[in-house]
Amino acid sequence: MRKRVTLIFPRHLVNVPLTYRLAKDFDVAANIVRARVAPNEVGTLVVELSGDIDQVEAGLEWVQSLGIEVTERAKEIQIDPDLCVDCGLCTGVCPTEALKISAPNWKLEFSRNRCVMCEQCVATCPVGAISTSL
Amino acid sequence: MERTLDQINQRIAKGQVRVWTALEAKAKLATLGLQEAFEQVDVITTGTFEPMESSGAIVNLGHTDPPIKIRQAWLNGVPAYAGFGAVDLYLGAAQPSEQADQAYGGGHVIADLVAGKRVHLRAIGQVTDCYPRADYETTLTRDQLNQFYLFNPRNAYQNFIVGVNGGDRPLYTYLGLLEPHLGNAVYSNPGELSPLLNDPLLRRVGIGSRIFLGGGIGYVAWEGTQHFPLQKRLPNQTPIGPAATLALIGDAKQMQAEWVRGCYFRNYGPSLMLGVGIPIPILAPADLEAIAIRDEELVAPVIDFSIPRRVRPTFGLVSYAQLKSGQITLNGRKVRTAPLASLRRSMQVAEILKQWIESGQFTLTQPVAPLPLDREFLSQNPLT
Repeated sequence: MRKRVTLIFPRHLVNVPLTYRLAKDFDVAANIVRARVAPNEVGTLVVELSGDIDQVEAGLEWVQSLGIEVTERAKEIQIDPDLCVDCGLCTGVCPTEALKISAPNWKLEFSRNRCVMCEQCVATCPVGAISTSL
Repeated sequence: MERTLDQINQRIAKGQVRVWTALEAKAKLATLGLQEAFEQVDVITTGTFEPMESSGAIVNLGHTDPPIKIRQAWLNGVPAYAGFGAVDLYLGAAQPSEQADQAYGGGHVIADLVAGKRVHLRAIGQVTDCYPRADYETTLTRDQLNQFYLFNPRNAYQNFIVGVNGGDRPLYTYLGLLEPHLGNAVYSNPGELSPLLNDPLLRRVGIGSRIFLGGGIGYVAWEGTQHFPLQKRLPNQTPIGPAATLALIGDAKQMQAEWVRGCYFRNYGPSLMLGVGIPIPILAPADLEAIAIRDEELVAPVIDFSIPRRVRPTFGLVSYAQLKSGQITLNGRKVRTAPLASLRRSMQVAEILKQWIESGQFTLTQPVAPLPLDREFLSQNPLT
């Protein structure tokens, strides 16, 4: 199974080799979608876990036991179809091509699983159609 | 064989008119000869939907009792020009709010009024014997305005540029964010859909041409500001960069919120996205020569915004086919392209205009005067 979770960890836990332990102890692959670690702040890691369903759950239990907060309510990009005018300006600043627009329909397409939540599109959208939500 | 505009309007009245959108026409002209196609079509509809910051609205408020001669006015906190008739205002699309929200501007106020929303007015008057009131405050909808029409000094650019950033810091421009080290390229003209690229030498579009403007009826009022028909042209007569422009006018009371949208470019300012559709009457087979031109044969210059001068360095010309493919090659590197005009909505404007003409609710007008073809593009220089 695949599961996308957001891990929020206190500063003293940034040294834990998280992905290594998940792979070695639980046989769970952790693909880092997004990471933010800034001085004197809690770290945020968005990972997509794949592996056996029981192993993924066990891995997450272990992560929680360390004092790392696990949430499945990941912050996500939301596009309001009533506001979007399909101009496509956001596609030029999207680093992963999660936002795409092309012939012949020229309708904005968003692939949620490619999004790394850089939020460049949020500030770029000229009509305020893109936001983030929990 | 030629035909007249009157004959086309008679066909519209009888419900017999034959209309193709520019896109349909280009597909058909790939196989049909000009003469053959001419015999099958009377009108080609074009459309664009893009930010047009050189736009604005004329508003007449109606007189208060006692009356006021407004000299300063704000609509939803956005300053409007009031230096003319007592209760006449001109609200520019690119004027930012004086309140905290700099992302809100004249374009948003215009869009709010078109959407039927209430807008706050604050006005300061010059007290005279005939206009004793010193100030006024109220809220208004477009139904409470005597006149509310767009009068846009520069719309429907015949062609435009492609913006890139060869520098090492992000640039916030009227084309949106240009990322450093050629991180992206933004083009804002819809290429083969663009109204005036389908009539490159302005043979059919002129002063008085009736058009689709913001979902209502509008007219070509004049040449637009910075109208530059003398721009260099390709052998197919299309310009290689910004060229002809139009000043447009139309009743905003009849416009639709879908086609009049306030917009904002981060760290640059507010603007107005507007749908403009222009019908091109096909009076002779030769009119279809320009209609047949595809994105492969239309070009725009790639301009480096990292040098903030009047004349900026260029990376040369790219075709609209390349731009619409999603990437261009600059200095041997692949650069992502993004449109700024909504190509989807541009196509929709042409479709709607086609329906209007087919259903008989929109007839074509003969221009009352041609647009000039000989305007220079003068620059502003300080006294020496």
